[in-house]
Amino acid sequence: MNPAIETRQLCYAYEDGTTALDHITLSAQRGSITGVLGSNGAGKSTLFLNLNGVFTPQSGQVLLNGVPVSYDRKGLTALRRRVGIVFQDPDDQLFSADVYRDVSFGGVNLGLPPEEVRRRVEEALVRTGTAGLRDRPTHALSYGQKKRVAIAGVLVMEPEVLILDEPTAGLDPQGVSEIMRLLVRLRDSLGMTVLIATHDMDIVPLYCDYAYLLGGGRVLRGGTPEELFADPEALRANHLRLPRIAHLMEVLRQADGLDTHRSAATIGAARREILRLLKEEEKL
Amino acid sequence: MGTDRYAYQSRLRRVAPLPKLVLAAAALVVCLCCDSVWVGLTTVLAMGILITVLGGLPVKVYLHFLKVPLAFLVVGGITILIHSYPTGTATLAALPVGERLWGFTAGDLDQAARLFCKAMGAVGCMYFLSLNTPVTDLTMALERLRVPRLAVELMELIYRFIFVLGATAANIRLAQESRLGYQGFRRSVRSLGELSSMVFLRAWRKAQSIYTALEARGYAGSLATLAGDYTPGLWLLPLTVAIAGGQLLVYGLERMAVG
Repeated sequence: MNPAIETRQLCYAYEDGTTALDHITLSAQRGSITGVLGSNGAGKSTLFLNLNGVFTPQSGQVLLNGVPVSYDRKGLTALRRRVGIVFQDPDDQLFSADVYRDVSFGGVNLGLPPEEVRRRVEEALVRTGTAGLRDRPTHALSYGQKKRVAIAGVLVMEPEVLILDEPTAGLDPQGVSEIMRLLVRLRDSLGMTVLIATHDMDIVPLYCDYAYLLGGGRVLRGGTPEELFADPEALRANHLRLPRIAHLMEVLRQADGLDTHRSAATIGAARREILRLLKEEEKL
Repeated sequence: MGTDRYAYQSRLRRVAPLPKLVLAAAALVVCLCCDSVWVGLTTVLAMGILITVLGGLPVKVYLHFLKVPLAFLVVGGITILIHSYPTGTATLAALPVGERLWGFTAGDLDQAARLFCKAMGAVGCMYFLSLNTPVTDLTMALERLRVPRLAVELMELIYRFIFVLGATAANIRLAQESRLGYQGFRRSVRSLGELSSMVFLRAWRKAQSIYTALEARGYAGSLATLAGDYTPGLWLLPLTVAIAGGQLLVYGLERMAVG
């Protein structure tokens, strides 16, 4: 296979010496959405800052398209252009009171000619559905709107890999599905590689192609969402849980002795399971 | 901060900030130099027409904004108007208090009226600028005028984080109030102190996360951005000349009438 970004034995410690990342080896396939699941303090944010070169790993490697990243000036500029991070709190990211100017920042930093920056800003605003917000000051936007403007500010750099830290935290249910559908569109139409850190388990089976379970700075498990949900105890040991639907299926299987399949974690999959069971009942 | 909201909706929003700055500054200087009642009134009227007709601001809103400095000006005007005089001075209106008269003469009235109208004219000029130009555009114009980058970038960041930290402070205050933090003087002082130190700490941490986020977007020491498309707005320059001419004409007419 062909991972867009991967890490090999990546280690990172904070200045006070506590280990944050302990031999992390993971990869994200090109044109896929990869979830990084973990409780608070599992090391997700630290990992992401290592992937973008804001933090330099103590040991181990970050590879882009199979090539190790170099940490000199040129290498870092290239890394930050190719790997974009959207931070959890949009107020940390939006530094200008003007939406248009904030979005243009990354493009200007790439040293692109102004016409090209303008073209990219327009495209990013349209893609994120924020074109109508350019005539409003940043502080007049809702949280969800700020979040989308923050994504536009990263898209303007046209990264190959887009990293989002807790993209759904603090959003209302409609906001969550809008953001996640936006990510799916970026994956499908641009072939972008998307990495999301989350502990919102219900979005994982719906939107993630692959997922890793992080705990105590280590990769504990990796697999498709179905594979991860087949081992609910590992999730629970790390302060996570099954998606609600998968939990229902588990209860039906264990408490009521129904022959439900453990991978059914979405409404669609659960519906198929229930219909299948009903049909089998009829046959008997 | 209320003006910024209207600035973003102004019809002149897309006009380059520099000509707007020039127009406001020219009218302001002429108004202050003429030091006359009629020039002041002309200026505030002319700016009102520009703001409502060109900018599209409702007249009601403009009048509301004019009311804001009114209280301040009235108090200031009264202190200049009222003097104490020995009994027998020819005053227009006065109250005898003890041995002396407290009131104003024709000269005092003229001086207070001039000050009041001049100040209203100046306020009109500033409103023309701030009701049609968002702060971020204004800092852009300052940069064009060769104000040091560092100062301009600081202004932009400070302006943005006034709102972020303001929201933080409001949230902390609400949380304190909901736990009875502001009942009684002593408790209020204590809560306010805690609020201030919390906001300071949060600002500190915020600065670090902002720096990280800027770095992730390729920050290399300068907050260079691109503004949205502007129309050059050169048509404002003849208008500037016309307004200054009008102010001077009113001034001349007033002189002639007096002379």
